Amino acid sequence: MKHLFSRQSILLFVLLCSVCSCHAVEPVPTTEPVTYTLCNAQATAETQRLWAVLCSEYGKRALSGVVAKVDWNTREAENVYKWTGRYPALNVFDFINIHASRDVNKQGWLDYSDLTPVTDWYDAGGIVGCMWHWQVPANNGTNYTCSPGTEPGQTSFDPAAVSDPNSADYKRMIHDIDQVAGYLKKMQKRGIPVIWRPLHEAAGNATEFAGGKAWFWWGAKGAEVYKQLWRFMYDRLVNYHKLNNLIWVWNSQMNDPDWYPGADVVDVVGRDNYYALQYPLAKEYRQLQQEYPDKLITLAECGNGDEVDMSPWAKIWAEGSRWSWFMTWYDYNYNVGNSDEHRFAGEQWWKDAFSTGLVIDREQISKLLYK
Amino acid sequence: MRLGIRVIGICVLCSVSAAVCTLSAVERTILIGPKTIGKAWKDNIVLEPRHFAHAHAGDIITVYNDNAKRTAQGAFQNPKTWQGIAPEYGYFGINGPFRMTLTEDILAIAREHGIAIGGHDYRILQVTLSEASDYHETTVWSGPSVMMKDDWSNNAEIPASCLKDLHVGDGLRLHISKVKPNAAAKLMDFTWNALDPSLDGVPVGGEAYTWYIYDNAPLLKLALAGTGGNVAMRIGGTGYRLDGIGIVQQVGEVSEDYSEAQRAPKEYVLQPGELFHGEKHFPADWSGNLKVTAAPFQECTGNDVLIISYRLAPAAKAAGTTPQLSLRNTRTWGELTGAPEPVWYPLDGTDIVYLFDSVALDEVKTRGLIVTGVGFTLTKIELISAQ
Repeated sequence: MKHLFSRQSILLFVLLCSVCSCHAVEPVPTTEPVTYTLCNAQATAETQRLWAVLCSEYGKRALSGVVAKVDWNTREAENVYKWTGRYPALNVFDFINIHASRDVNKQGWLDYSDLTPVTDWYDAGGIVGCMWHWQVPANNGTNYTCSPGTEPGQTSFDPAAVSDPNSADYKRMIHDIDQVAGYLKKMQKRGIPVIWRPLHEAAGNATEFAGGKAWFWWGAKGAEVYKQLWRFMYDRLVNYHKLNNLIWVWNSQMNDPDWYPGADVVDVVGRDNYYALQYPLAKEYRQLQQEYPDKLITLAECGNGDEVDMSPWAKIWAEGSRWSWFMTWYDYNYNVGNSDEHRFAGEQWWKDAFSTGLVIDREQISKLLYK
Repeated sequence: MRLGIRVIGICVLCSVSAAVCTLSAVERTILIGPKTIGKAWKDNIVLEPRHFAHAHAGDIITVYNDNAKRTAQGAFQNPKTWQGIAPEYGYFGINGPFRMTLTEDILAIAREHGIAIGGHDYRILQVTLSEASDYHETTVWSGPSVMMKDDWSNNAEIPASCLKDLHVGDGLRLHISKVKPNAAAKLMDFTWNALDPSLDGVPVGGEAYTWYIYDNAPLLKLALAGTGGNVAMRIGGTGYRLDGIGIVQQVGEVSEDYSEAQRAPKEYVLQPGELFHGEKHFPADWSGNLKVTAAPFQECTGNDVLIISYRLAPAAKAAGTTPQLSLRNTRTWGELTGAPEPVWYPLDGTDIVYLFDSVALDEVKTRGLIVTGVGFTLTKIELISAQ
């Protein structure tokens, strides 16, 4: 609706409004008493203990988290410590380069079989998360990639091969899952529970607008194939490899219930958002909470985007979001010294977040877990 | 007699100088800044087509800039499509002034639509156009050619002797062929480290890529290799063949005549409540639009109002265009209120005052808005808050 007024009348109107009405602050929704249960009834004691803490803090405070740069490290957590004197509670490792791990590739440049970065973090009281940018051979036969397509640098790897045990792609899936299972099993033997977020952002922007599509190969054949793949992985890791230290996080791209693998194989519903302003974040949180009322809801990835800077955590919380945890992304250029500013979440954002009293750090989560 | 010789000598010198001035090329300014190219690729400025009416293939555009962050990137774009005007100009690192050599294909676009300069995190001070003859090239390495494979594993080793005459202000031109899409070069010192972050995978295309040297740092790295046949530089990359290298030196004059130069719109620092302040043209070809993110609307309520100020464009009226403006959502470019048809506000010079309904309020707080229209110059958008 549009009207034309003089500036004076508009200012008067605004003044009257400010006198007559207060800013309509939406009440912070109270978390209903819901019992959240792990989908794996055989979960290890350590996993159950972590789960219990996550559930008990849900709605009260958020766990702080960062993703590690892609080479098996905790450098982003060190950045946060350098800025604030406090470590984030959660460090998430990425299995993106398993093809270059020295235990399977003599020419490799990192070694996932050496758990030192993980055990050091865990022993210091931190929570361990793992995600997997599952790279497969690109069409050019040289590179590895997650991007589906027919270009040389993309991959025609077929997620539908999950139902064709004789296919080469199926065998590759088994090979890769088993390799990752080896690392996760080492963590289990060490007593380390893992917040596990594979096959993320599967729908891409397929549900966002006409013509949208998946941007990772695991979503390229649509929702049904994706769900098959998720359940295949769940079965392989939980039932075949007996991995009982995993808390399974599925990523929603919003308005994608067709892509949800099912309540029996998902513990937490996550959302990745790099347009992380308090208002849209709160809308998404409420929507996910309504759609998945028996699951924890988490901000699985976040940070400044190309267009906007992430809102301060106090404002995100005040708007009504009650994400179980948040995980900010790392900045390659900042870490190698090419940039003075952190692209996704820098010193000021983290200082502000910890100052709210609404964010749990590593020391606090350690006390909660081992008190 | 002596006086006569002196007079004649001066006359000869003057006429020789005049001849040299006439014959040598001149770098002339076509845009005067400053124009800030801020974060996130949201800013650009279009060089008007008139600048290229008499330009030739081989002529060079130079963008002088400052305030570049270490991660700044530049771009030369087709204003019609907003894609790179050629693949290698879609984005590139910035380290000092950057240049583009015009080709026939680029000129065809430039003469019709102009050339947009974009990117992020730097400020344009001045843009010049100079002729190819402003630059003199000396070939210093001519192979054997090296094919840069897809896996970046190949490189050409350039001896120090080839680079001994390379100085600050010069350009090092890589002559390339068999260029594939997404071809990129990596210019390294003898220790395999990129000479500059902007040279670590710089996009290349066409027949040549020229790296201009603006400070001593890369030259010092090259000098560390020693002299003679020692490898001072490694040129690697992917998707192209390196055939030769030349050192390019600028030999032309610089014109101080700015009478034909285009001037960048005046820049303002946003005051509290201002969402936009400056000059954004909405020409008759419907190419004008402005996106406002959701960030300034986060605490907006239904009591707040948007005031949009503008100037009518006389040229548009003369051409029979009806000045009008519309506010759209950023997802589908549909009407901000969710109405099936867009609402057009005819412009008569009076500020537009926009009151939010609940749909529009939710939309701007979630995703922001788009201003589109024709026949005016947007000068300011203010959000007046009831808070």
